[in-house]
Amino acid sequence: MTELLIGTKKGLVVLRGQRGGTFEVGARTFAGEVVEFATRDPRSGLYFASVTNGQFGPHLFYSDDPTAKWQQAEGPAFPASANAAVERIWVVEPGVDRGVLWCGVAPAALFRSEDDGRTWKLVQGLWDVPSRPQWQGGAGGLCLHSICPWPGDPNRVAVGISSAGVWLTEDAGKSWRSGVKGLVPRYLPEDARQDTHTHCVHNMRRAPREPATLYMQFHGGVYRSDDAGETWIDVGTDRGLPSDFGFPLAIDPHDPNRAFVIPLTADADRVTPNGRVCVYETRDRGASWRPLADGLPQSQAYLTVLRQAFCTDGGSPLGLYFGAQSGEVFGSADGGRTWSTLAARLPPVVSVRCA
Amino acid sequence: MPKVILTGSIRQHAGGLGFVEVGGDTAGAIIAALEASHPALRGWVVDERGSLRRHVKLFLRGAAVTLEAPVGRDDELHIVAAISGG
Repeated sequence: MTELLIGTKKGLVVLRGQRGGTFEVGARTFAGEVVEFATRDPRSGLYFASVTNGQFGPHLFYSDDPTAKWQQAEGPAFPASANAAVERIWVVEPGVDRGVLWCGVAPAALFRSEDDGRTWKLVQGLWDVPSRPQWQGGAGGLCLHSICPWPGDPNRVAVGISSAGVWLTEDAGKSWRSGVKGLVPRYLPEDARQDTHTHCVHNMRRAPREPATLYMQFHGGVYRSDDAGETWIDVGTDRGLPSDFGFPLAIDPHDPNRAFVIPLTADADRVTPNGRVCVYETRDRGASWRPLADGLPQSQAYLTVLRQAFCTDGGSPLGLYFGAQSGEVFGSADGGRTWSTLAARLPPVVSVRCA
Repeated sequence: MPKVILTGSIRQHAGGLGFVEVGGDTAGAIIAALEASHPALRGWVVDERGSLRRHVKLFLRGAAVTLEAPVGRDDELHIVAAISGG
């Protein structure tokens, strides 16, 4: 059975079904509240849900059964010295060492847990980066949304921040340096593009089989890095994409040459281009992209797919799943060759992860 | 001792109670005492800076008040989720 955790504007929906078959709503929890992100750590078996209550703020919960009782984690919360408050919890990512997880929040900060996600502490090194006072957020706020651990090396982590670029550590978070060489922030005047903290990263993923390889969906641009995020190569221009703007990004965990994006029309028009829903795949590290649309709506479909709403299941052939603000969830059990609608009338979908 | 009146979904973090009696001579001190007696409420009414969450209101004797408002021993402090959302 495949279990999909669908974060929506009105609760967490657990979709269950067979790969390639039909899916049904197995449970709905946190009814009425915004579930920004939900995932499962395969090491501990714990599920996590980031829940933003309209009145009472953001909170992180965990459970060993998404249909049963959830416990509230201790944090993430800023220490008094930071003089800040968590506005939104964007992502929870398992780390490398036993019990270690990372959590990204707005305002852009990284938290670390060493007890399977039950308690959290601020990663002070990133909070203290000297340029931080100049960091600015995008439409979604100043958010740390992408966390890329390095399989086998607990000290190396890359994070992506909108709109403060890529930050790299090789000492488990004590010190950080910027990794934005090659990125072109077209939304800034040419003479203002030299800063290292004005880059609006929309999504970033590391290839686990070749950890120096990262892919990025930028705010106008699709990029690849072959040197662990130090420098970036444009793989979005004139390579077959209808647009290089978008948010979702997925990679094949078994093949560092293979990645997927779901382009949106443009910054000013954040819907699927030409009324067609289409995933684009590269099998050659971004040298070329081809559309995968069999089974997806191909007319009068103006969908918005958010940055956390696209994932793979790591299977073979690869399973791919994404959800839209229109409340639909789509899935493919054959690496994107064919697609089906797994759910059609959910609340607006914010995140999709395979448990 | 002042009585804190809990309404709506916030009750679930106080064991389902509709009210709690805690000591304190200001609204802020009462919220702090409430968090101490019911740790699951920590972070829900005020954030980690101690600021009242934007869409939470405190009412005392029929009027909205701030955390600095003095509270008498026989007062009732209402924690109310503001009308907001979508």
